[in-house]
Amino acid sequence: MPLLENLWGKKPSRKSDKKKKGSSNYAYAVTRVRAMKSKLLPKESYPRLLNMGIDEITRFIQESEYKNDVDELAMKYSGGDLAEHALNRNLALTYDKLVRITTGELNYLVVAYLKRYDIWNIKTLLRGKLYNASVEDILESLIAAGEFTYTSMSELAAKATYQEVIEGLKYTEYYPLLQKFDGTNLAYIENELDKMYYAGLFEAIGKPRSKDRKLFTKVVKLEVDVKNLINLFRLKKAGVVQLDEIMPLMIEGGLELKTEKLASLQYDEFVNELQRTQYWDAISGVTGSDMASLNTLESRLTRYYLESSTILSHVSPITVVPILDYIIHKNNEATNLRIIFRGKETGLSDELIKDQLVII
Amino acid sequence: MTDGATAGLFLDAAGMKALGASIAIAVTGLASAIAEKDIGTAAIGAMAENEGLFGKGLILTVIPETIVIFGLVVALLINSA
Repeated sequence: MPLLENLWGKKPSRKSDKKKKGSSNYAYAVTRVRAMKSKLLPKESYPRLLNMGIDEITRFIQESEYKNDVDELAMKYSGGDLAEHALNRNLALTYDKLVRITTGELNYLVVAYLKRYDIWNIKTLLRGKLYNASVEDILESLIAAGEFTYTSMSELAAKATYQEVIEGLKYTEYYPLLQKFDGTNLAYIENELDKMYYAGLFEAIGKPRSKDRKLFTKVVKLEVDVKNLINLFRLKKAGVVQLDEIMPLMIEGGLELKTEKLASLQYDEFVNELQRTQYWDAISGVTGSDMASLNTLESRLTRYYLESSTILSHVSPITVVPILDYIIHKNNEATNLRIIFRGKETGLSDELIKDQLVII
Repeated sequence: MTDGATAGLFLDAAGMKALGASIAIAVTGLASAIAEKDIGTAAIGAMAENEGLFGKGLILTVIPETIVIFGLVVALLINSA
């Protein structure tokens, strides 16, 4: 019957956003996440951390939010490895907590966003297997914050070759792409995985109608722009000018940047063109063609992205944005701590380590 | 029989007063409940992370209670008029 088909047919009759069933608990989740954000390391603690040795830093984070993780793993690891494992474990548990405390629409968006860690893990596994890293080394870099569990990831890490890893991912959405991996095109596969993630995320958001999804889209688009801009700067600095070499590396769906136009310009014109964008205030002064490294520029852009998401989270307090804001700030904290650990371990100067940090 | 000018179709003046008072209580009660629901869950969310926020959370949660108190006052005024 046509009426019943309309009611129960495969095509959803609802034209608005795809939505997970159940109501969202915005008030609860957002307030809890704000309380969690207040526990992130304050910016004053970074100069202190830079003055410490590895053991002192481990002790410092043992007294902070990472206590349980360090205690749990202290039997198995030590030094920098302990910190690395503790950071990854904490990140995974924190993101898992976010998935658990959100419901409905909110949960749907958070889960879609956190799929980036599945991509991260797949990349880690492929890189690890390709370069014959030990299982321990691979496990150290896995962050089980996405849909794949740590157990399933460890099983994949224990496989002997990358072909077996790919076979192990047979029932995932990434398999068709991973089949194209032949051991020589890792960079291509990694780029495509990233693009696939963003395409999947935009598809999950659908055509944003609610305020929530509009803001969510804005933050994601901003992130895409920042990533594209960093890549464009790297490519321009490396002297890559061919449009057909640059464009495959760009992610589609940015907020403001017209990547095709920017990619075709020479360095000076490219910088001039950027003056008309919202990113100029953040990067003006560090875009000279004679700069030795892009570190400052990259950290300024990342800082701009972090600050923008915080501003948006204040503009619309009861939406998904404060949660997104927390996710990226937490990730930034873990990245900062990792940089300090690894920097200290390899004996880099404090000044060099400080340049890499994004302190906010 | 009641006078049509001072009473509704089905109720006399006392009935209408009682109905008005009950609406004042019922609507403000619902309004408080809706407001407290969100504030209460938010307070619990904050408390789950930081127990020290119990006092603040409790105070914020009961602030919408004033709405129903106003309703109660209005209901009493209607009743005593």
